[in-house]
Amino acid sequence: MTTKGKHDFQFLKQKKPWNEDPNPIWLASTISLQRNVEKFNFPGKLSTDRKQQIVGLICQKMLSIEGLTNPTFIKAEDIGLIEKEFIVEHFLSTHGYKEAFKGEGFIFDDSGEFLAILNVRDHIHMQLIDCTGELENTWSRLVKIETTLGKSLNYAFLPKFGFLTADPTECGTGLLATVYLQLSTLIHTGKIEEILDKYLDESLHVSGLQGSPTEIIGDILMIRNNYTFGVTEESIISSLRAVTTKLIVEEHSMRNKIKKEGNIDFKDKISRAYGILIHSYQIEAIEALNALSLIKLGVEMNWITQIDNRQINELFFNCRRAHLLCLCNEEKIDNVELAHKRAEMIHKALKKVKLEI
Amino acid sequence: MNDKSENNDDTIEEGIPDRPLECSECKKNIAVCYTEMIGDAVTYTSMCADCPELQRRLCGVPIHHPGSSQEENAALACGNCGTTLESLRVGGPVGCSGCYELFNDILVSEMLASKKIAPRAGKAKKSLPIHIGRAPGESMTMNPTLRLLALNEALSETIKSEDYEQAAWLRDQIKALTENPENNDDDKR
Repeated sequence: MTTKGKHDFQFLKQKKPWNEDPNPIWLASTISLQRNVEKFNFPGKLSTDRKQQIVGLICQKMLSIEGLTNPTFIKAEDIGLIEKEFIVEHFLSTHGYKEAFKGEGFIFDDSGEFLAILNVRDHIHMQLIDCTGELENTWSRLVKIETTLGKSLNYAFLPKFGFLTADPTECGTGLLATVYLQLSTLIHTGKIEEILDKYLDESLHVSGLQGSPTEIIGDILMIRNNYTFGVTEESIISSLRAVTTKLIVEEHSMRNKIKKEGNIDFKDKISRAYGILIHSYQIEAIEALNALSLIKLGVEMNWITQIDNRQINELFFNCRRAHLLCLCNEEKIDNVELAHKRAEMIHKALKKVKLEI
Repeated sequence: MNDKSENNDDTIEEGIPDRPLECSECKKNIAVCYTEMIGDAVTYTSMCADCPELQRRLCGVPIHHPGSSQEENAALACGNCGTTLESLRVGGPVGCSGCYELFNDILVSEMLASKKIAPRAGKAKKSLPIHIGRAPGESMTMNPTLRLLALNEALSETIKSEDYEQAAWLRDQIKALTENPENNDDDKR
């Protein structure tokens, strides 16, 4: 078993899958599969010894399968809180891994898009993040990894319940598919509720970036399947694809309208966002993310120039706490100092940006 | 009660990230913070969305679980891992595969009650398996035209609403997808 220590976590910090994303509305999608190994209790009912035994078993199989390039296992106890938070931010996870410790761990591969979390809630939670809008292909890639692993490892399964998971509401397919959309104009014009009512059925669930049903951060809506049980994987992906396509059309149409009429309210919002980012001495992550979303919109309207979506995406991720701390490369920074560092980092990145309103 | 909770707030150390608020019954994230003031006494309760406590406070009565006589089942526990029915009812995790076989119908009725089974499957005959997806070892191929189907559906809607600019934009995307088949080429297994 190859295990790498704290130093080797660095490689993940170099990976920036979202840098390839030119799409102004579709930020990212994640696909995850929950699986448990047959004959073992689920992680919540395992002793640390047994957990380590399972981790050993899974690693032995997973680190040698096709479909993953140079997979690496990192023990949960070998990385600090900040690194664990970094993983949450990088993979847009809705669960934190702060409490992950002995007998638990993570597997990454060279793509920076694959994450397996071992023994945290289920024995294996495997996930791919994609920023190119390839929902269906991402699913295929993950299923390929899952079936290859399944050849040498028996998953807990019952015909009635499908794949068994520690959270009974995730059994069946064990598939969670999430699309992150930046619907800035629908949100700022207050049209979003009406549009969601029109297109959303009970099979999908919408929330803010961190899973909060009410707090929208950076104009991002997280759209995820509501059922894993009693549905097929194809129907989950197809309903997600159908609804997100319609939401994107609505957002695109609203953006066109705003651009055409040179909407004053949006000119004001974008100018203010620019002002906040350029002139703040200290700035909190949420405020920065909200302003950056408007800057992104400004770029599409041609009201902001000398920056592109990829750079804004990078800034978007770097603003969040663990990413920022890793950038600063300092072990201890208090929150006030960090807010200042964040403002400085943004000033630097937006130095050449021009507001052309 | 009041003083105590304030003290608790003060003792949270700076620098250490706050844990997300948890339901006082189970460990899920909270959906409702309930503050009750009776005279001088103030009590705080944090509840998740499927909290039985929330149901009790909203409806004033304990929720009824269909298909099970609660009293008898209350002490039911899995012989393999020790997970109790009570802990499952408050949203606790399932402990092992054996729990699924033991709590079989109870789990299904709990999930039906919290609307976590796709409606079509929930209504199906009892003898039919609820799970309709893959089994281990099976591979499934996704219809490679899924993305095109979604775009076409959106296209016909924009045409219906006479939004021709959007329609043209969608047509361009459809064209790009059909001309570059590698973009939607399904992985061959």
